[in-house]
Amino acid sequence: MITLEGKKVEEIEKMIKGHSRLLVLGCETCAAMSFAGGERQVKELSSAIRMARKKSGEEREVLEDAIARQCDPEFVDLIGDKVAGCDAVLSLACGAGVQLVAERFPDMVVLPGCNTTFLGVTEELGVWSERCAGCGNCILDKTAGLCPIARCSKQLLNGPCGGSMNGKCEISKEVDCVWQMIIDRLTRLDRLEMLEEIFPVKDWSPAGHGGPRKMIREDLKS
Amino acid sequence: MKSGSNLEKVLESGQFAVTAEAGPPKGTSPKVIQRKGELLKLCCDALNVTDNQTAIVRMSSLSGCVLLKELGVEPVLQMVVRDRNRLALQSDILGAAALGIRNVLCLSGDHQKFGNHPTAKGVYDIDSMQFIQMVKAMRDEHKFINGEEISGDVPFFIGAAANPFADPFEFRVTRLAKKVNAGADFIQTQGIFDVPKFVRWMEMVRDRGLHEKTHIIAGLIPMKSVGMARYMRNNVPGLSVPKELVDRMADAKDPKEEGVKICIEAIEQLTEVEGVHGVHIMAVAWEDIVPRIVEEAGLMPRPVV
Amino acid sequence: MTRNNDSMEVDYPPCRSACPIQTDVREYVQLVAERRYEEAFVSIRKLNPLPRVCGRICTHPCEAACKRGQVEEPIAIAALKRFAADGHWEREHKAIEPDKSTGHKVAVVGSGPAGLAAAHDLALLGHQVTILEALPVLGGMLRVGVPEYRLPKDVVDKEIKTIVDLGIEVKTGVRIGKEMKLADLFEQGYKAVFVAIGAHKDRKLGIAGEEDLEGVASAVSFLRQVNQGESPEVGKKVAVIGGGNTAIDSARSAVRLGAEEVHIIYRRTSDEMPAAKEEIEEAAHEGVQISYLTSPIEILGQDGKISALKCVKNELGEPDASGRRSPKPVEGSEFTIDVDMVIAAIGQAPDSSSVAEEVGVTERRKRIIVDGPYTLVTTQPGVFAGGDAVTGPATVVEAISAGKRAALSIDLYLRGESLPTIESADAVKTAKLSSTLIEKTGKFARCKKVSLPMDQRLKGFDEVESVLSEDLATKEALRCLHCYLGARVDHDKCVSCLTCLRVCPLGIPVTSKMGEITIDPFACQACGMCALECPVQAIDISLDPRSEIARDIEDGIHRAQHSGPVIIAFFDLHGNFGSSHVESLKQNYPNIVPVMVFGLRRIDTSDILKAFEWGADGVLLAACQPDADPFPKGTDRVKRRVAHAGALLEALGMYRGRLEICDMPEQGLVDTELIHGLIQRIRESGQTRPE
Repeated sequence: MITLEGKKVEEIEKMIKGHSRLLVLGCETCAAMSFAGGERQVKELSSAIRMARKKSGEEREVLEDAIARQCDPEFVDLIGDKVAGCDAVLSLACGAGVQLVAERFPDMVVLPGCNTTFLGVTEELGVWSERCAGCGNCILDKTAGLCPIARCSKQLLNGPCGGSMNGKCEISKEVDCVWQMIIDRLTRLDRLEMLEEIFPVKDWSPAGHGGPRKMIREDLKS
Repeated sequence: MKSGSNLEKVLESGQFAVTAEAGPPKGTSPKVIQRKGELLKLCCDALNVTDNQTAIVRMSSLSGCVLLKELGVEPVLQMVVRDRNRLALQSDILGAAALGIRNVLCLSGDHQKFGNHPTAKGVYDIDSMQFIQMVKAMRDEHKFINGEEISGDVPFFIGAAANPFADPFEFRVTRLAKKVNAGADFIQTQGIFDVPKFVRWMEMVRDRGLHEKTHIIAGLIPMKSVGMARYMRNNVPGLSVPKELVDRMADAKDPKEEGVKICIEAIEQLTEVEGVHGVHIMAVAWEDIVPRIVEEAGLMPRPVV
Repeated sequence: MTRNNDSMEVDYPPCRSACPIQTDVREYVQLVAERRYEEAFVSIRKLNPLPRVCGRICTHPCEAACKRGQVEEPIAIAALKRFAADGHWEREHKAIEPDKSTGHKVAVVGSGPAGLAAAHDLALLGHQVTILEALPVLGGMLRVGVPEYRLPKDVVDKEIKTIVDLGIEVKTGVRIGKEMKLADLFEQGYKAVFVAIGAHKDRKLGIAGEEDLEGVASAVSFLRQVNQGESPEVGKKVAVIGGGNTAIDSARSAVRLGAEEVHIIYRRTSDEMPAAKEEIEEAAHEGVQISYLTSPIEILGQDGKISALKCVKNELGEPDASGRRSPKPVEGSEFTIDVDMVIAAIGQAPDSSSVAEEVGVTERRKRIIVDGPYTLVTTQPGVFAGGDAVTGPATVVEAISAGKRAALSIDLYLRGESLPTIESADAVKTAKLSSTLIEKTGKFARCKKVSLPMDQRLKGFDEVESVLSEDLATKEALRCLHCYLGARVDHDKCVSCLTCLRVCPLGIPVTSKMGEITIDPFACQACGMCALECPVQAIDISLDPRSEIARDIEDGIHRAQHSGPVIIAFFDLHGNFGSSHVESLKQNYPNIVPVMVFGLRRIDTSDILKAFEWGADGVLLAACQPDADPFPKGTDRVKRRVAHAGALLEALGMYRGRLEICDMPEQGLVDTELIHGLIQRIRESGQTRPE
């Protein structure tokens, strides 16, 4: 899933200044599962915004809504009327969703209520960690299912570096050294010899360094 | 000869090499490097110029190397992959070759979080292993990493770093082997404090015959104070400082003297270890002590080859 | 009404299913837990015209079915009924008004529980009811059968009066079959008759010595004498033959009347004994000696008086028609015990000879024949029958059930509508909970009975058991597991995030591979945590629904008085407080709006913010003591949420000290000092509406 974090309410306050009719728009997929932008958070944030308004004396109306996803135009278009009645939309979706909303309503001010963080997994309720950098060329077959692009601080393909200590990355004791984990797991699978070969330099273009990415499936297009 | 550098000549002739480190200033004055160069000229066979060490911005290593060359001191160009992509790395290698620099040390670099610009984007386009391979291909095949021809020679003595004390211990030698296979002509290790552990590592190195394929130069960091000892023990990743040494520094009446003593003891032990072909003294902010250490370790004068 | 979504109910909880009159047990137990005792009484009284009686002597099949019984012991439902009914007797039923008069007259023959229930319901339906009772007092077995140490006279009389006060005519001393026949009643203008004459005729033992010796009594007539204050003579050594409640009643009465030794002689084992377990236990406590697998074979006498009882030991053989294994005498095991009184309590039959000419009765047991247990039509058109007279001796609540069904039947009959054919449903067995679930459920012991000490009991017929104190009653009611009021997932909204699975303290939600969530409505204990934590709010809960909590907050703020800063105070019902604490809080602090919840774990950050948004000046959450909390992890979560809400308030420039979470004191709702501190702080922050 894509993980998100709600922006601090002080930052949101600054963003929405001057907009008297605000729509707080939730997204019920990744944003909801991150507890950052689902209906529950829409309710909480809208209350907070209304209270802040009352206090500042600013005229403000705050409408609430949520859709299944903000990354599919069909869902976004369903709330067109509601959006039209406002002068700003505070979208709690990931960056992709916020942009699609802005694209579908180009005359509307669309603001991001969350920070999109990473592609990751749920470790347990309330704890998520990054797993994938979306590099476009998966090498997990060579690294025992552990990704050094997403999980090595230096994105080494021939790690570990000299800073790996006690299985932890040099940047923090909280961060596992993924190369230690790769070595451990390859050892467990009796395939450590895979690391004798030097991993060649990486083509970073599918990872976004070749420009903004687009994917087209000719067999699916209408 | 691969590069014809002084360091290469000393090592290839079977003599025990001494290298040291000179850190550039956080400014524009050439005098800093010049002073260090003058100081260390006679007591080492080559002098490393560090590259934004610990991710703190300083005058570039390349310019430091040029300043040293003007003084007649042989530089070792340190290059980290943290700050440059493959274009810049190749470009700088070409430039360094043109400027007469003959030794290069290919490094990953400490993570930018440690430095004074922690919000910077780390480049890491290629890693240190791939960097070694790249320089070897430039030198031996006259080819850029994309396969295109390079005009002219790229005569470099290629070095890499090794850390016998990082984890996983068992894998370190495999990694060293990889670097050697990639093209590392010489290895400068991280500072050694736990000599017995280093000796064990050297056994594993020798078991794989790597001591015959590359020159291992043991790194040393003279300690100035017990505070420095503690800091290195607790905060610097990749350093293994035994508690006994910290205690020795703590108990010493004159910590600096103790630090020098410890360093010299280590050198004496290391010269006895088969496969160790030199020492690399990293006296960070204490370059002045290096001549004395080299002298008292019995490594003066330096050979002329 | 309770905070329930009745319209969403699909299943009846086991207590309601097991009750012959389908009492909404769950509702009134919840109201007791909420300290809404009058409403609890009203809830009971809706369906049951004899709540104080049932609270004392009902056999409570609801308790046998209660899901809590699988954890430790069932809820003490009957005791809670008594608590609600005993306490608010005076203030109840100005409420119920009968329907407009239909002009039809109905005669009810017999004023036991079946007759009373029928009369009550018929009167409410607008019919003109007359009760005809053979004895000089009303109540049937309630009044002349059950001893006063179980069911005091004045309780019965008061309860009957309320029924009669609906405008029911009463004629005592009238025995149908003698002065009047059923046919005469129709001539008098009654359009329908309900015969509920009970089963007041003891069966004979059928052994030698029964007829001719002095000192042999029938249990029914013995108890009738006792209950009418006639203090019959009891022997020094009494043997009561039988194993039902009547036998126990006779034995315990005999003890009180001075017998030195009282034996109960029962032909099977304690497993088969039909008397209520509690009754058997109390009899044993009171010194009654029970001989199992023993049958009397002859009563021996001297000078025309009983001197001894010859018995034989039994062993159990093949099951008989009742399904119980039949006793077979063991050869050569005869023995004799010295007794000077024998009471026969081996079962009763209706004294139906009086009506047998006009309606059909069964051959052997003389029970009145009806077409079905719901319609209750006898062989005579317009004549209905129910209760013990039809079923043989049964329980009070079954009799009430019969009376209520008869009322419905008669009402349809009087309107000229056809009576429905209702198929009898089999009794639903309560499903079993998994052992993992039982393990994870917090254990809270059932309240103990409060009974008179032995030396005080046996002096007379004072009521042995006391009503529960408010403290015990509320704690007991809070043990209820709220069957079928739990979480329901709206699958259209659910995004399969698995949060409900992860927060449930009992591990109830399960997911399919495709993310379809199933929550077993029977296992769910309605703690409310999944409904709150669901990030897309796809879960509804029927106990303290989220929408109702929001509504209570909003209403509360509008109604609160501004004698001080308006504070929404969430109180955990599991705290140690009574209705008087709630009253005094409302009186002393009309600016504080108490919102009672089954656990603070139901309060979300947005509830707190909404309170402030709608104009509250402060919000207080008061947590119960940890050992009273059935879901302590839930309370821990709410503490973290409150910290988060506080940080939000601060970020919005509001004074954070307006929001507080505290522990409730050992007794009561909240420490006065704490409240004063909070009010003071809020005032000083200058962030209140004008007072």
